[in-house]
Amino acid sequence: MANRRLITKAVLYLILILLAFMMVLPLIWMFLSSFKTGSEIFAQPPVWIPETFQWKNYLNAFNLAPFGIYLANSLITATAITVIQIMLSSMIAYGLTQLEFKGKAFLFQSMLLTYMLPAAVTYVPSYVILAKLGLLDSLTGIVVSNISSVFSIFLLRQSFLKVPKEIVEAARSEGANDWQILWKVMCPMSLSTIFTLAMITFVEMYNNYLWPSLIVKSQSKYLITVGLNQFFTTQGTFQNQWAMIMAVNVISVAPLLLLFFIFQKWFIKGVGDSGLKG
Amino acid sequence: MRHRMQGFGSFALFIGVPVIPLIVFWFIPMFVSLWLSFTDWDYISPEIHYVQLDNYVTVLKSPDFLGALWNTFFFAFWTTVPTLIIGFLLALLLRVQIKGRPLFKALIFSPWVTPMVAMSIVWSWIYEPKIGLLNQFLGWLQLPQPEWLQSSTFAMWAVIIVTVWKSVGWCMIFYCDALGKISDEFIDVCKLEGATIWQCIRKLYLPLVSPITLFLAVTLIISAMQAYDQIQVMTQGGPAGSTRTLLYLYYQMAFQQFNMGQATAVAIILVIITAVISLIQFRLSKYWVHY
Repeated sequence: MANRRLITKAVLYLILILLAFMMVLPLIWMFLSSFKTGSEIFAQPPVWIPETFQWKNYLNAFNLAPFGIYLANSLITATAITVIQIMLSSMIAYGLTQLEFKGKAFLFQSMLLTYMLPAAVTYVPSYVILAKLGLLDSLTGIVVSNISSVFSIFLLRQSFLKVPKEIVEAARSEGANDWQILWKVMCPMSLSTIFTLAMITFVEMYNNYLWPSLIVKSQSKYLITVGLNQFFTTQGTFQNQWAMIMAVNVISVAPLLLLFFIFQKWFIKGVGDSGLKG
Repeated sequence: MRHRMQGFGSFALFIGVPVIPLIVFWFIPMFVSLWLSFTDWDYISPEIHYVQLDNYVTVLKSPDFLGALWNTFFFAFWTTVPTLIIGFLLALLLRVQIKGRPLFKALIFSPWVTPMVAMSIVWSWIYEPKIGLLNQFLGWLQLPQPEWLQSSTFAMWAVIIVTVWKSVGWCMIFYCDALGKISDEFIDVCKLEGATIWQCIRKLYLPLVSPITLFLAVTLIISAMQAYDQIQVMTQGGPAGSTRTLLYLYYQMAFQQFNMGQATAVAIILVIITAVISLIQFRLSKYWVHY
Protein backbone atom coordinates (compact mmCIF):
# COMPACT_ATOMS: atom_id res chain seq x y z
CA MET A 1 0.00 0.00 0.00
CA ALA A 2 2.73 2.42 1.03
CA ASN A 3 4.70 1.32 -1.99
CA ARG A 4 1.84 2.03 -4.32
CA ARG A 5 1.40 5.51 -2.91
CA LEU A 6 5.07 6.16 -3.36
CA ILE A 7 4.86 5.15 -7.00
CA THR A 8 1.77 7.31 -7.60
CA LYS A 9 3.58 10.22 -6.07
CA ALA A 10 6.66 9.65 -8.19
CA VAL A 11 4.55 9.47 -11.34
CA LEU A 12 2.75 12.64 -10.35
CA TYR A 13 6.05 14.42 -9.80
CA LEU A 14 7.28 13.25 -13.16
CA ILE A 15 4.16 14.52 -14.93
CA LEU A 16 4.31 17.86 -13.14
CA ILE A 17 7.99 18.34 -13.86
CA LEU A 18 7.39 17.51 -17.50
CA LEU A 19 4.43 19.90 -17.75
CA ALA A 20 6.17 22.73 -15.94
CA PHE A 21 9.21 22.20 -18.14
CA MET A 22 7.07 22.38 -21.28
CA MET A 23 5.48 25.61 -20.08
CA VAL A 24 8.78 27.37 -19.44
CA LEU A 25 10.60 25.78 -22.36
CA PRO A 26 10.03 28.75 -24.71
CA LEU A 27 11.43 31.04 -22.01
CA ILE A 28 14.48 28.83 -21.44
CA TRP A 29 15.00 28.48 -25.17
CA MET A 30 14.83 32.25 -25.57
CA PHE A 31 17.31 32.79 -22.77
CA LEU A 32 19.84 30.22 -23.97
CA SER A 33 19.55 31.30 -27.60
CA SER A 34 20.29 34.90 -26.74
CA PHE A 35 23.88 33.84 -25.97
CA LYS A 36 24.47 31.76 -29.08
CA THR A 37 26.56 32.36 -32.15
CA GLY A 38 24.99 32.39 -35.62
CA SER A 39 26.06 28.84 -36.36
CA GLU A 40 24.79 27.55 -33.04
CA ILE A 41 21.43 29.14 -33.77
CA PHE A 42 21.17 27.25 -37.04
CA ALA A 43 22.61 23.99 -35.77
CA GLN A 44 20.80 20.78 -36.55
CA PRO A 45 20.20 19.01 -34.19
CA PRO A 46 19.73 22.02 -31.91
CA VAL A 47 22.50 23.14 -29.59
CA TRP A 48 21.16 23.77 -26.10
CA ILE A 49 23.98 25.32 -24.15
CA PRO A 50 26.15 27.73 -26.12
CA GLU A 51 29.85 26.92 -26.04
CA THR A 52 30.81 30.41 -24.95
CA PHE A 53 28.17 32.88 -23.84
CA GLN A 54 28.01 35.64 -26.43
CA TRP A 55 27.38 38.69 -24.27
CA LYS A 56 28.04 40.85 -27.30
CA ASN A 57 24.59 39.93 -28.67
CA TYR A 58 23.20 42.19 -25.96
CA LEU A 59 25.67 44.97 -26.69
CA ASN A 60 24.93 44.81 -30.42
CA ALA A 61 21.21 45.02 -29.80
CA PHE A 62 21.63 48.06 -27.56
CA ASN A 63 23.79 49.68 -30.22
CA LEU A 64 21.16 49.20 -32.90
CA ALA A 65 18.19 50.58 -31.01
CA PRO A 66 17.72 52.53 -27.76
CA PHE A 67 16.20 49.71 -25.73
CA GLY A 68 17.12 51.46 -22.51
CA ILE A 69 14.77 54.29 -23.44
CA TYR A 70 12.01 51.89 -24.51
CA LEU A 71 12.31 50.06 -21.23
CA ALA A 72 12.24 53.28 -19.23
CA ASN A 73 9.18 54.50 -21.19
CA SER A 74 7.34 51.28 -20.45
CA LEU A 75 8.22 51.22 -16.78
CA ILE A 76 7.30 54.89 -16.32
CA THR A 77 3.97 54.73 -18.13
CA ALA A 78 2.96 51.43 -16.54
CA THR A 79 3.77 52.78 -13.07
CA ALA A 80 1.96 56.07 -13.67
CA ILE A 81 -1.11 54.32 -15.06
CA THR A 82 -1.21 51.84 -12.19
CA VAL A 83 -0.98 54.50 -9.49
CA ILE A 84 -3.44 56.97 -11.05
CA GLN A 85 -5.87 54.28 -12.13
CA ILE A 86 -6.07 52.80 -8.65
CA MET A 87 -6.52 56.20 -7.05
CA LEU A 88 -9.30 57.25 -9.41
CA SER A 89 -10.97 53.85 -9.23
CA SER A 90 -10.93 53.89 -5.43
CA MET A 91 -12.60 57.28 -5.49
CA ILE A 92 -15.41 56.09 -7.75
CA ALA A 93 -15.70 52.85 -5.80
CA TYR A 94 -16.04 54.91 -2.64
CA GLY A 95 -18.73 57.04 -4.26
CA LEU A 96 -20.59 53.97 -5.41
CA THR A 97 -20.51 52.27 -2.04
CA GLN A 98 -20.71 55.14 0.47
CA LEU A 99 -22.44 58.09 -1.16
CA GLU A 100 -26.04 58.51 -2.13
CA PHE A 101 -26.71 60.41 -5.34
CA LYS A 102 -29.10 60.53 -8.23
CA GLY A 103 -28.23 58.33 -11.18
CA LYS A 104 -26.05 55.98 -9.15
CA ALA A 105 -27.75 52.90 -10.57
CA PHE A 106 -27.53 54.35 -14.06
CA LEU A 107 -23.82 55.04 -13.70
CA PHE A 108 -23.18 51.56 -12.41
CA GLN A 109 -25.14 49.94 -15.22
CA SER A 110 -23.38 51.96 -17.91
CA MET A 111 -20.09 50.81 -16.48
CA LEU A 112 -21.30 47.22 -16.43
CA LEU A 113 -22.08 47.57 -20.12
CA THR A 114 -18.63 48.89 -21.04
CA TYR A 115 -17.00 46.08 -19.11
CA MET A 116 -18.34 43.55 -21.60
CA LEU A 117 -17.24 45.46 -24.67
CA PRO A 118 -14.04 45.04 -26.62
CA ALA A 119 -11.86 48.08 -25.92
CA ALA A 120 -10.91 48.24 -29.59
CA VAL A 121 -14.30 49.76 -30.40
CA THR A 122 -13.15 52.96 -28.77
CA TYR A 123 -9.87 53.23 -30.66
CA VAL A 124 -10.90 55.35 -33.64
CA PRO A 125 -12.69 58.07 -31.64
CA SER A 126 -10.13 57.92 -28.83
CA TYR A 127 -7.41 58.47 -31.40
CA VAL A 128 -9.21 61.57 -32.65
CA ILE A 129 -9.79 62.82 -29.11
CA LEU A 130 -6.11 62.41 -28.26
CA ALA A 131 -5.22 64.25 -31.47
CA LYS A 132 -7.54 67.12 -30.50
CA LEU A 133 -5.94 67.28 -27.06
CA GLY A 134 -2.52 67.39 -28.71
CA LEU A 135 -1.49 64.24 -26.90
CA LEU A 136 -0.71 61.98 -29.83
CA ASP A 137 2.83 60.68 -29.88
CA SER A 138 3.41 61.41 -26.20
CA LEU A 139 3.79 59.33 -23.09
CA THR A 140 1.18 61.54 -21.42
CA GLY A 141 -1.25 60.43 -24.12
CA ILE A 142 -0.63 56.79 -23.31
CA VAL A 143 -1.13 57.42 -19.60
CA VAL A 144 -4.20 59.63 -19.90
CA SER A 145 -6.05 57.28 -22.23
CA ASN A 146 -5.47 54.31 -19.94
CA ILE A 147 -6.20 55.67 -16.50
CA SER A 148 -9.82 54.67 -16.32
CA SER A 149 -10.68 51.03 -15.99
CA VAL A 150 -14.09 49.64 -15.26
CA PHE A 151 -12.47 46.42 -14.17
CA SER A 152 -10.54 48.19 -11.39
CA ILE A 153 -13.64 50.02 -10.27
CA PHE A 154 -15.62 46.79 -9.97
CA LEU A 155 -12.89 45.02 -8.10
CA LEU A 156 -12.43 47.86 -5.60
CA ARG A 157 -16.16 48.34 -5.21
CA GLN A 158 -16.49 44.70 -4.26
CA SER A 159 -13.71 44.99 -1.76
CA PHE A 160 -15.13 48.21 -0.25
CA LEU A 161 -18.52 46.54 0.16
CA LYS A 162 -16.90 44.05 2.51
CA VAL A 163 -15.66 46.75 4.89
CA PRO A 164 -17.95 46.59 7.94
CA LYS A 165 -20.37 49.52 8.25
CA GLU A 166 -19.57 49.93 11.94
CA ILE A 167 -15.97 50.80 11.18
CA VAL A 168 -16.97 53.47 8.68
CA GLU A 169 -19.51 54.92 11.10
CA ALA A 170 -17.05 54.90 13.95
CA ALA A 171 -14.59 56.87 11.83
CA ARG A 172 -17.32 59.28 10.80
CA SER A 173 -18.40 59.91 14.38
CA GLU A 174 -14.82 60.72 15.23
CA GLY A 175 -15.04 63.55 12.73
CA ALA A 176 -13.39 61.98 9.73
CA ASN A 177 -14.62 63.24 6.37
CA ASP A 178 -15.13 61.17 3.22
CA TRP A 179 -11.63 61.87 1.95
CA GLN A 180 -10.04 60.63 5.18
CA ILE A 181 -12.32 57.62 5.39
CA LEU A 182 -11.36 56.56 1.88
CA TRP A 183 -7.59 56.72 2.35
CA LYS A 184 -7.37 55.83 6.05
CA VAL A 185 -10.11 53.23 6.40
CA MET A 186 -11.28 51.75 3.10
CA CYS A 187 -7.95 51.48 1.34
CA PRO A 188 -5.94 50.00 4.20
CA MET A 189 -8.70 47.44 4.71
CA SER A 190 -8.60 46.47 1.02
CA LEU A 191 -4.85 46.21 0.78
CA SER A 192 -4.73 42.72 -0.69
CA THR A 193 -7.17 43.64 -3.45
CA ILE A 194 -5.23 46.80 -4.21
CA PHE A 195 -2.00 44.86 -4.35
CA THR A 196 -3.40 42.26 -6.74
CA LEU A 197 -5.00 44.92 -8.87
CA ALA A 198 -1.76 46.88 -9.01
CA MET A 199 0.16 43.81 -10.16
CA ILE A 200 -2.39 42.92 -12.85
CA THR A 201 -2.62 46.50 -14.11
CA PHE A 202 1.13 46.90 -14.18
CA VAL A 203 1.65 43.65 -16.09
CA GLU A 204 -1.10 44.49 -18.56
CA MET A 205 0.13 48.01 -19.17
CA TYR A 206 3.75 46.94 -19.55
CA ASN A 207 2.64 44.31 -22.06
CA ASN A 208 0.17 46.59 -23.84
CA TYR A 209 0.89 46.84 -27.54
CA LEU A 210 -1.92 47.67 -29.97
CA TRP A 211 -3.09 50.99 -28.57
CA PRO A 212 0.38 52.42 -27.79
CA SER A 213 1.60 51.34 -31.24
CA LEU A 214 -1.18 53.41 -32.79
CA ILE A 215 -0.61 56.63 -30.90
CA VAL A 216 3.18 56.69 -30.64
CA LYS A 217 5.19 57.52 -33.75
CA SER A 218 8.63 58.80 -32.76
CA GLN A 219 11.27 56.36 -31.62
CA SER A 220 12.05 58.20 -28.40
CA LYS A 221 8.46 57.53 -27.22
CA TYR A 222 8.33 53.83 -28.06
CA LEU A 223 7.26 51.43 -25.38
CA ILE A 224 9.29 48.26 -25.12
CA THR A 225 6.61 46.20 -26.90
CA VAL A 226 6.45 48.66 -29.79
CA GLY A 227 10.22 48.93 -30.07
CA LEU A 228 10.54 45.16 -29.88
CA ASN A 229 8.20 44.47 -32.77
CA GLN A 230 9.73 47.32 -34.76
CA PHE A 231 13.15 45.79 -34.23
CA PHE A 232 11.86 42.35 -35.17
CA THR A 233 10.33 43.56 -38.44
CA THR A 234 13.26 45.73 -39.49
CA GLN A 235 16.06 43.34 -38.56
CA GLY A 236 14.46 40.49 -40.43
CA THR A 237 15.12 36.92 -39.58
CA PHE A 238 18.39 36.19 -41.32
CA GLN A 239 21.57 34.69 -40.03
CA ASN A 240 22.71 35.51 -36.55
CA GLN A 241 20.05 38.20 -36.09
CA TRP A 242 17.95 35.66 -34.21
CA ALA A 243 20.39 35.57 -31.32
CA MET A 244 20.26 39.35 -31.04
CA ILE A 245 16.47 39.37 -31.28
CA MET A 246 16.32 36.81 -28.48
CA ALA A 247 18.63 39.02 -26.42
CA VAL A 248 16.21 41.89 -26.84
CA ASN A 249 13.33 39.62 -25.88
CA VAL A 250 15.14 38.64 -22.70
CA ILE A 251 15.60 42.31 -21.84
CA SER A 252 11.90 43.01 -22.31
CA VAL A 253 10.72 40.00 -20.34
CA ALA A 254 13.23 40.23 -17.50
CA PRO A 255 11.67 43.06 -15.42
CA LEU A 256 8.27 41.39 -15.23
CA LEU A 257 9.58 37.90 -14.58
CA LEU A 258 11.79 39.28 -11.85
CA LEU A 259 8.88 41.14 -10.31
CA PHE A 260 6.70 38.07 -10.58
CA PHE A 261 9.14 35.68 -8.96
CA ILE A 262 9.71 38.08 -6.07
CA PHE A 263 5.98 38.52 -5.44
CA GLN A 264 4.71 35.21 -6.79
CA LYS A 265 3.38 33.95 -3.47
CA TRP A 266 1.14 36.97 -2.92
CA PHE A 267 0.40 37.36 -6.56
CA ILE A 268 -0.95 33.86 -7.13
CA LYS A 269 -2.86 33.88 -3.87
CA GLY A 270 -4.21 37.34 -4.62
CA VAL A 271 -5.44 36.49 -8.08
CA GLY A 272 -7.08 33.36 -6.71
CA ASP A 273 -9.08 34.95 -3.92
CA SER A 274 -9.34 38.59 -4.97
CA GLY A 275 -12.99 38.16 -5.85
CA LEU A 276 -12.03 38.65 -9.50
CA LYS A 277 -14.72 36.23 -10.48
CA GLY A 278 -17.40 38.62 -9.33
CA MET B 1 -27.78 73.55 3.80
CA ARG B 2 -24.22 73.02 4.85
CA HIS B 3 -24.79 69.31 4.79
CA ARG B 4 -26.14 69.43 1.26
CA MET B 5 -23.19 71.44 0.06
CA GLN B 6 -20.89 68.93 1.64
CA GLY B 7 -22.80 66.17 -0.09
CA PHE B 8 -22.42 67.88 -3.41
CA GLY B 9 -18.73 68.51 -2.81
CA SER B 10 -18.16 64.86 -2.08
CA PHE B 11 -20.11 63.86 -5.14
CA ALA B 12 -18.08 66.18 -7.35
CA LEU B 13 -14.84 64.90 -5.89
CA PHE B 14 -15.48 61.18 -5.74
CA ILE B 15 -17.60 60.75 -8.84
CA GLY B 16 -17.25 63.93 -10.89
CA VAL B 17 -13.48 64.02 -11.19
CA PRO B 18 -12.61 60.36 -11.79
CA VAL B 19 -15.54 59.86 -14.12
CA ILE B 20 -14.13 62.40 -16.62
CA PRO B 21 -11.53 60.07 -18.22
CA LEU B 22 -14.10 57.31 -18.19
CA ILE B 23 -16.48 59.48 -20.17
CA VAL B 24 -13.82 60.88 -22.49
CA PHE B 25 -12.11 57.61 -23.37
CA TRP B 26 -14.94 55.08 -22.98
CA PHE B 27 -18.48 56.41 -23.10
CA ILE B 28 -18.06 59.12 -25.74
CA PRO B 29 -15.90 56.99 -28.09
CA MET B 30 -18.46 54.25 -27.93
CA PHE B 31 -21.27 56.48 -29.13
CA VAL B 32 -19.02 58.20 -31.66
CA SER B 33 -18.06 54.77 -33.04
CA LEU B 34 -21.70 53.90 -33.45
CA TRP B 35 -22.29 57.19 -35.26
CA LEU B 36 -19.20 56.85 -37.47
CA SER B 37 -20.37 53.45 -38.62
CA PHE B 38 -23.19 55.24 -40.48
CA THR B 39 -20.80 57.62 -42.25
CA ASP B 40 -18.16 57.51 -44.98
CA TRP B 41 -15.43 59.26 -43.03
CA ASP B 42 -11.87 58.61 -44.25
CA TYR B 43 -10.02 60.39 -41.41
CA ILE B 44 -8.58 63.07 -43.72
CA SER B 45 -11.45 64.84 -45.46
CA PRO B 46 -13.37 67.37 -43.37
CA GLU B 47 -16.67 66.35 -44.94
CA ILE B 48 -18.59 63.52 -43.42
CA HIS B 49 -21.53 62.06 -45.28
CA TYR B 50 -24.26 60.07 -43.72
CA VAL B 51 -24.57 56.80 -45.63
CA GLN B 52 -27.22 55.02 -43.56
CA LEU B 53 -26.62 51.27 -43.48
CA ASP B 54 -24.30 51.15 -46.49
CA ASN B 55 -21.21 50.28 -44.45
CA TYR B 56 -22.98 47.39 -42.77
CA VAL B 57 -24.33 46.08 -46.09
CA THR B 58 -20.92 46.32 -47.77
CA VAL B 59 -19.15 44.72 -44.84
CA LEU B 60 -21.63 41.90 -44.36
CA LYS B 61 -21.44 41.02 -48.05
CA SER B 62 -17.65 41.09 -48.32
CA PRO B 63 -15.85 37.74 -48.34
CA ASP B 64 -13.07 39.26 -46.21
CA PHE B 65 -15.54 39.93 -43.43
CA LEU B 66 -17.14 36.50 -43.64
CA GLY B 67 -13.72 34.88 -43.58
CA ALA B 68 -12.73 36.96 -40.56
CA LEU B 69 -16.01 36.14 -38.83
CA TRP B 70 -15.38 32.42 -39.25
CA ASN B 71 -11.77 32.83 -38.09
CA THR B 72 -12.92 34.73 -35.02
CA PHE B 73 -15.32 31.98 -33.96
CA PHE B 74 -12.79 29.29 -34.73
CA PHE B 75 -10.09 31.08 -32.76
CA ALA B 76 -12.39 31.87 -29.82
CA PHE B 77 -13.64 28.30 -29.58
CA TRP B 78 -10.28 26.58 -29.92
CA THR B 79 -8.57 28.87 -27.44
CA THR B 80 -11.31 28.92 -24.81
CA VAL B 81 -12.13 25.21 -24.63
CA PRO B 82 -8.58 23.83 -24.45
CA THR B 83 -7.55 26.56 -22.01
CA LEU B 84 -10.42 25.63 -19.69
CA ILE B 85 -9.77 21.89 -19.92
CA ILE B 86 -6.00 22.08 -19.53
CA GLY B 87 -6.30 24.68 -16.75
CA PHE B 88 -8.72 22.44 -14.88
CA LEU B 89 -6.60 19.31 -15.30
CA LEU B 90 -3.49 21.15 -14.10
CA ALA B 91 -5.39 22.34 -11.04
CA LEU B 92 -6.54 18.76 -10.37
CA LEU B 93 -2.96 17.51 -10.55
CA LEU B 94 -1.88 20.27 -8.18
CA ARG B 95 -4.55 19.29 -5.67
CA VAL B 96 -2.42 16.49 -4.36
CA GLN B 97 -0.33 17.54 -1.38
CA ILE B 98 3.24 17.43 -2.58
CA LYS B 99 6.34 19.43 -1.95
CA GLY B 100 7.15 22.25 -4.33
CA ARG B 101 3.54 22.91 -5.25
CA PRO B 102 3.94 26.72 -5.20
CA LEU B 103 6.95 26.42 -7.49
CA PHE B 104 5.02 24.33 -10.02
CA LYS B 105 2.19 26.83 -9.90
CA ALA B 106 4.56 29.75 -10.42
CA LEU B 107 6.32 28.07 -13.35
CA ILE B 108 3.08 27.16 -15.09
CA PHE B 109 1.70 30.63 -14.48
CA SER B 110 4.82 32.50 -15.58
CA PRO B 111 3.99 32.75 -19.32
CA TRP B 112 0.99 34.92 -18.37
CA VAL B 113 3.32 37.59 -17.01
CA THR B 114 5.36 37.95 -20.19
CA PRO B 115 4.55 40.38 -23.03
CA MET B 116 2.65 38.70 -25.84
CA VAL B 117 4.76 40.58 -28.38
CA ALA B 118 8.01 39.14 -27.03
CA MET B 119 6.59 35.65 -26.74
CA SER B 120 5.16 35.77 -30.24
CA ILE B 121 8.64 36.54 -31.54
CA VAL B 122 10.09 33.62 -29.59
CA TRP B 123 7.36 31.34 -30.89
CA SER B 124 7.79 32.46 -34.50
CA TRP B 125 11.30 31.20 -34.20
CA ILE B 126 10.18 27.94 -32.57
CA TYR B 127 7.78 27.54 -35.50
CA GLU B 128 10.51 28.13 -38.09
CA PRO B 129 9.97 25.30 -40.62
CA LYS B 130 13.53 23.97 -40.97
CA ILE B 131 15.50 24.79 -37.86
CA GLY B 132 12.70 25.68 -35.45
CA LEU B 133 12.60 23.73 -32.22
CA LEU B 134 9.12 22.36 -32.82
CA ASN B 135 9.80 20.88 -36.25
CA GLN B 136 13.16 19.48 -35.18
CA PHE B 137 11.31 17.75 -32.37
CA LEU B 138 8.53 16.53 -34.68
CA GLY B 139 11.15 15.27 -37.13
CA TRP B 140 12.86 13.39 -34.31
CA LEU B 141 9.51 11.70 -33.60
CA GLN B 142 9.13 10.93 -37.32
CA LEU B 143 6.02 13.12 -37.50
CA PRO B 144 5.08 15.44 -40.35
CA GLN B 145 6.67 18.91 -40.09
CA PRO B 146 4.22 21.55 -41.32
CA GLU B 147 5.38 25.02 -42.33
CA TRP B 148 3.49 26.46 -39.39
CA LEU B 149 3.23 30.18 -40.03
CA GLN B 150 3.59 29.97 -43.80
CA SER B 151 0.73 27.53 -44.28
CA SER B 152 -2.85 28.71 -44.40
CA THR B 153 -4.06 25.51 -42.71
CA PHE B 154 -1.58 25.56 -39.82
CA ALA B 155 -1.04 29.27 -39.16
CA MET B 156 -4.27 29.57 -37.18
CA TRP B 157 -3.33 26.55 -35.05
CA ALA B 158 0.08 28.08 -34.43
CA VAL B 159 -1.56 31.27 -33.16
CA ILE B 160 -3.99 29.24 -31.05
CA ILE B 161 -1.20 27.21 -29.44
CA VAL B 162 0.60 30.37 -28.32
CA THR B 163 -2.60 31.88 -26.95
CA VAL B 164 -3.49 28.76 -25.00
CA TRP B 165 0.06 28.39 -23.72
CA LYS B 166 -0.04 31.92 -22.37
CA SER B 167 -3.41 31.71 -20.61
CA VAL B 168 -3.67 28.20 -19.11
CA GLY B 169 -1.74 29.36 -16.04
CA TRP B 170 -4.30 32.07 -15.38
CA CYS B 171 -7.10 29.53 -15.63
CA MET B 172 -5.28 27.06 -13.42
CA ILE B 173 -4.94 29.61 -10.60
CA PHE B 174 -8.70 30.12 -10.46
CA TYR B 175 -9.42 26.41 -10.56
CA CYS B 176 -6.80 25.75 -7.87
CA ASP B 177 -8.55 28.26 -5.66
CA ALA B 178 -11.99 26.80 -6.36
CA LEU B 179 -10.84 23.20 -5.83
CA GLY B 180 -9.07 24.22 -2.65
CA LYS B 181 -12.42 25.26 -1.20
CA ILE B 182 -13.94 21.80 -1.68
CA SER B 183 -13.74 20.04 1.65
CA ASP B 184 -11.88 16.76 1.89
CA GLU B 185 -14.94 15.11 3.44
CA PHE B 186 -16.75 15.28 0.11
CA ILE B 187 -13.89 13.55 -1.60
CA ASP B 188 -13.64 10.86 1.06
CA VAL B 189 -17.34 10.14 0.70
CA CYS B 190 -16.96 9.97 -3.04
CA LYS B 191 -14.13 7.48 -2.74
CA LEU B 192 -15.92 5.43 -0.08
CA GLU B 193 -18.90 4.96 -2.34
CA GLY B 194 -16.58 3.17 -4.70
CA ALA B 195 -16.76 5.73 -7.46
CA THR B 196 -13.93 5.89 -9.95
CA ILE B 197 -11.78 9.02 -10.22
CA TRP B 198 -13.56 9.97 -13.41
CA GLN B 199 -16.97 9.71 -11.69
CA CYS B 200 -15.76 11.81 -8.78
CA ILE B 201 -14.54 14.48 -11.16
CA ARG B 202 -17.77 14.54 -13.13
CA LYS B 203 -20.22 14.34 -10.26
CA LEU B 204 -18.31 16.30 -7.66
CA TYR B 205 -15.60 18.59 -8.96
CA LEU B 206 -17.16 19.80 -12.18
CA PRO B 207 -20.46 20.98 -10.65
CA LEU B 208 -18.66 22.59 -7.71
CA VAL B 209 -16.34 24.62 -9.91
CA SER B 210 -19.03 25.51 -12.46
CA PRO B 211 -19.35 29.18 -11.37
CA ILE B 212 -15.62 29.64 -12.03
CA THR B 213 -15.96 27.87 -15.35
CA LEU B 214 -18.67 30.33 -16.35
CA PHE B 215 -16.58 33.31 -15.27
CA LEU B 216 -13.50 32.01 -17.08
CA ALA B 217 -15.42 31.08 -20.22
CA VAL B 218 -16.91 34.57 -20.49
CA THR B 219 -13.62 36.38 -19.89
CA LEU B 220 -11.62 34.04 -22.15
CA ILE B 221 -14.04 34.54 -25.02
CA ILE B 222 -14.02 38.31 -24.57
CA SER B 223 -10.24 38.35 -24.64
CA ALA B 224 -10.15 35.96 -27.62
CA MET B 225 -12.34 38.44 -29.49
CA GLN B 226 -9.67 41.06 -28.82
CA ALA B 227 -6.59 39.02 -29.68
CA TYR B 228 -4.24 41.13 -31.73
CA ASP B 229 -0.58 41.08 -30.64
CA GLN B 230 0.16 37.47 -31.53
CA ILE B 231 -1.52 37.84 -34.94
CA GLN B 232 0.29 41.08 -35.71
CA VAL B 233 3.70 39.66 -34.83
CA MET B 234 3.42 36.14 -36.22
CA THR B 235 1.20 36.31 -39.30
CA GLN B 236 -0.24 39.82 -39.92
CA GLY B 237 -3.52 38.08 -40.64
CA GLY B 238 -2.03 35.86 -43.32
CA PRO B 239 -1.27 33.69 -45.10
CA ALA B 240 -4.17 34.47 -47.42
CA GLY B 241 -6.25 35.92 -44.60
CA SER B 242 -6.28 32.60 -42.73
CA THR B 243 -5.54 34.24 -39.37
CA ARG B 244 -7.40 37.49 -39.90
CA THR B 245 -9.94 37.88 -37.13
CA LEU B 246 -12.60 40.58 -36.93
CA LEU B 247 -10.44 42.69 -34.66
CA TYR B 248 -7.52 42.42 -37.05
CA LEU B 249 -9.75 43.29 -39.98
CA TYR B 250 -10.94 46.31 -37.99
CA TYR B 251 -7.33 47.36 -37.38
CA GLN B 252 -6.45 47.03 -41.07
CA MET B 253 -9.51 48.95 -42.21
CA ALA B 254 -9.15 51.73 -39.66
CA PHE B 255 -5.43 52.27 -39.35
CA GLN B 256 -4.06 51.03 -42.66
CA GLN B 257 -6.81 51.92 -45.13
CA PHE B 258 -8.40 54.74 -43.08
CA ASN B 259 -11.81 53.47 -44.03
CA MET B 260 -13.28 54.61 -40.73
CA GLY B 261 -16.92 54.04 -41.63
CA GLN B 262 -16.57 50.38 -42.52
CA ALA B 263 -14.02 49.82 -39.77
CA THR B 264 -16.34 51.10 -37.07
CA ALA B 265 -19.15 49.05 -38.59
CA VAL B 266 -16.97 45.97 -38.08
CA ALA B 267 -16.28 47.11 -34.51
CA ILE B 268 -19.97 47.51 -33.77
CA ILE B 269 -20.68 44.05 -35.18
CA LEU B 270 -17.90 42.72 -32.96
CA VAL B 271 -19.54 44.37 -29.97
CA ILE B 272 -22.90 42.84 -30.82
CA ILE B 273 -21.37 39.39 -31.23
CA THR B 274 -19.51 39.68 -27.92
CA ALA B 275 -22.65 40.84 -26.15
CA VAL B 276 -24.76 38.05 -27.65
CA ILE B 277 -22.24 35.36 -26.75
CA SER B 278 -21.96 36.63 -23.17
CA LEU B 279 -25.74 36.74 -22.89
CA ILE B 280 -26.12 33.21 -24.25
CA GLN B 281 -23.52 31.99 -21.79
CA PHE B 282 -25.34 33.55 -18.86
CA ARG B 283 -28.67 32.15 -20.05
CA LEU B 284 -27.31 28.67 -20.56
CA SER B 285 -25.52 28.83 -17.25
CA LYS B 286 -28.85 28.25 -15.50
CA TYR B 287 -28.69 24.66 -16.68
CA TRP B 288 -25.16 23.78 -15.77
CA VAL B 289 -23.90 26.21 -13.17
CA HIS B 290 -24.52 25.21 -9.54
CA TYR B 291 -24.02 27.86 -6.94
